Amino acid sequence: MLNYTLERNHGIILPNQNIGLDVSGDVARHVFVSHAHADHLPRDRYIHVYATQATARLMRARGFKGDVTELDFESPLELENARVTLYPAGHILGSAMVGIESDEGHTLYTGDYKTPPSPVTEGFSRPESVDYFITEATFPLPIYKWQPHEELFAEMREFAFKALKEGFTPVFLCYNLGKAQEVMHGLAPLGFTQQIHGAGYELCKIYDELGYDIGKFEPYSRDTVSDNRILITPSSSLDQPMLRNLKRKRVAYVSGWATHESRRTQLTIDKLFPLSDHIDFFELLDLCEALNPKMVYITHTPNPRVVSHYLSEKGIASRPLNMEGFDDD
Amino acid sequence: MTKPGQDSFLLFCKIVQVISESRGTVRKTDIFADYLSGLGNTSDIDRAVRFAGEGAFSSVSGKRASIGSRTVALCAAEFCNIDYDIVFKACRTATGSASETIEKLMDNIPEAREKRTPSALSLAQVEELFIQLEKERKRDAKQALLVRAWEQMTSTEIKYFIRVMGQGSLRIGFEAKSIINAVSKAFSSDTEAVRYAHMITGSLGEAAVLSFENRLHTATFKLFQPVAFMLASPIESRSVDHITDYIAEEKFDGMRCQIHAQGDTVMLYSRDLNEITNSFPEVVAFFKQKSLPGVVLDGELCVFTDNTIQPFQLLQKRMGVKKPSPKMTGEYPVVFIAYDILYNDDEPLFEKSLINRREILKSFCDTFGIMRSRQFEVKSREQVEDMFDRALAHGNEGLMLKHKQSTYEYGQRRKSWLKVKKPGGSIDTVIMYAHAGSGKRGGTYSDFTLGVSVSEDDRYEEEFIPIGKAYGGYTDVELKRLNKEMKKLIVDRFGPTYSLKPGIVVELEFDDIQVNKRTKAGYTLRFPRFKAIRWDLAPSDADTLMDVEQLYNKKLHDDRKPQSEHQSFIGI
Repeated sequence: MLNYTLERNHGIILPNQNIGLDVSGDVARHVFVSHAHADHLPRDRYIHVYATQATARLMRARGFKGDVTELDFESPLELENARVTLYPAGHILGSAMVGIESDEGHTLYTGDYKTPPSPVTEGFSRPESVDYFITEATFPLPIYKWQPHEELFAEMREFAFKALKEGFTPVFLCYNLGKAQEVMHGLAPLGFTQQIHGAGYELCKIYDELGYDIGKFEPYSRDTVSDNRILITPSSSLDQPMLRNLKRKRVAYVSGWATHESRRTQLTIDKLFPLSDHIDFFELLDLCEALNPKMVYITHTPNPRVVSHYLSEKGIASRPLNMEGFDDD
Repeated sequence: MTKPGQDSFLLFCKIVQVISESRGTVRKTDIFADYLSGLGNTSDIDRAVRFAGEGAFSSVSGKRASIGSRTVALCAAEFCNIDYDIVFKACRTATGSASETIEKLMDNIPEAREKRTPSALSLAQVEELFIQLEKERKRDAKQALLVRAWEQMTSTEIKYFIRVMGQGSLRIGFEAKSIINAVSKAFSSDTEAVRYAHMITGSLGEAAVLSFENRLHTATFKLFQPVAFMLASPIESRSVDHITDYIAEEKFDGMRCQIHAQGDTVMLYSRDLNEITNSFPEVVAFFKQKSLPGVVLDGELCVFTDNTIQPFQLLQKRMGVKKPSPKMTGEYPVVFIAYDILYNDDEPLFEKSLINRREILKSFCDTFGIMRSRQFEVKSREQVEDMFDRALAHGNEGLMLKHKQSTYEYGQRRKSWLKVKKPGGSIDTVIMYAHAGSGKRGGTYSDFTLGVSVSEDDRYEEEFIPIGKAYGGYTDVELKRLNKEMKKLIVDRFGPTYSLKPGIVVELEFDDIQVNKRTKAGYTLRFPRFKAIRWDLAPSDADTLMDVEQLYNKKLHDDRKPQSEHQSFIGI
């Protein structure tokens, strides 16, 4: 059995290795940050952490002031009681899964991840097999099965192009780190300038500087947004003046949750694109089977029961780890 | 002629899906009109319009595929080779829709894909499947038919097949009014004429066919074919410019009913257009013995004894009883009180104004000795209040205000008829269970089971027992807060339901209290809804079952004025 403790509503601590995974502060000697989404970042902005190079840049852009030891993917770090390896997680730029080898066995903690990986990430790779698999399961039901990126990108380009042609501003509602840049990458071949609202602009610059193609982009401007631009903004702006004042617009909502038809009326939007940066149900089961662990721990999930049910049919033991924070995607 | 492929069910489903994804009724109407104009024969037009607006069968046919939503869901779970309780229910909770869940499972689960070979069924073939389902009585056989149908369909076809089978709206924001507009656009007919044909025939499909064949003028009303009832809006929801344009009637606390009679043939229809003739033999006998010329009356069934209109609770004992015993009809005798006339002397009267119809009703009822509601001129708002109080004293629910110049707006709820009611009461309750919402509330917990306290009640061991289930009366903001606060109170989860610790107090408003022996409390509330979430109160402040009992007894035994003076109706 894996020896762990939970930090309430945040991360996981492996006490014997003195390791904290996505914890909120200085609660272990070695703290690892899987990626730069807010629910995985330490709340204490001044601690020392380990992270990938891209995550370190994104964290600092989002206000982290502490010391970051930057690690390369798949080059192990030797600690006093463990050897730690980061694997590309395919979720957002810099996202990493954390592999921990010790006397207790081989543990893989996923953070948030996606396979097949998002095209604007470092890809996805993993150890052959592990003893303990700590996985998120944001989409833990068989109603969730993602279409390939290219298929969705093509539909999104068609939506944007048609809107522009008919004199409307296409608006893509999506989270401003990861999803936004993924959407921009998908739309880039159209050749239109994309405007991004608020804090997202600084994050886009990092993607651009690190060599990811997210097309032409500039910060949101009320004066030019209707001028053959595509607008990228979080769904929270739906009831803010920026969008309310934009009269001729076609609005798309881009999220794994767009699978649900009810989101259409709940949000009053024109188009749903179920593009997720999380692993889908079927890939998750396949991965569990491939890793062949002694135990799967399921975190960040609205419902661990269904995954457990299927794993037990495959002869894989599992249990839920109670943590919150599964709402963002 | 219908173009090749135009009559496929898959195309119909694709059109409906596009409509569901389009915003604005004009755009939706145009899409459907364009589709209809490509259908070249009456049968396909009938099917397409019927499937979109009425269901598998015409709403006046009385036919149903009669297959419960649980049976469909169980059948789908088996088809997809998944566990119903653990997997299917969780998926339905997440989407808020069984048909949407089934569509996705059919797509995603390899076994479900392998079993299916979509074979481009035509609208006619799908109709045939519905007919087979309707004819089949046994559940196993119905399930076998479902499986055979699904084996030939894409996942989108399956989703809409299930929705059409359920009768009524497809829940895509495209209702009767828009369908009528689309029909008139597709076949270049007058919208008013299509609307009228819909009212007369009771069927959207039939109206579309008449429109296509240029025969809308032949749409005639037929006796013994019920017409959708005109409905009233709560007065609070509408702005009334000139109260003096209205007349007032007391609002009977009974059961709405449409009577069709001619000679010794008499038929009774309920608000949902079901035939209820056999449930009220004394009313039928009364009308038979009058040997009336062809007539259709709209009115109310009430229990009437001792010259007094009796509480709805007594009428309830008669409702749903298919063949009441003489003892029952003796104890709770029912009368019919007319307040509108829709057909007389071979002539439909819908298009006449209310005062016109009223004149005809008056002379008809007085000639044949039929009870009719009294009407009062409205002179001022103050006078409305006096009449309202008097209606309550009679044991009636309140007042109906009807616009003098209004036609009979079948099936519609506008401001020509207004109801003035007082809530039956309100009690403070605690939330015991939260249930996942469905439809547009999918993905949130929007339905709540509310309980009253029995902690000092010797008859019960529990602290709280359920008294009602409410799913309205709160704002979006309140619902959001409820969903957040309830997370802290979760004790257990059963599929789409959370069991909660007592913690949130809700002031629950309702129209009436009824005895219901099948519930733990022994009472149910009529139309319970949130009046206020009482964040300021604790569960110990909740009302008790005893309080509910007292309210009930007060209502039941409250003195009711007999009909000896200031009568509510005429012709006893």
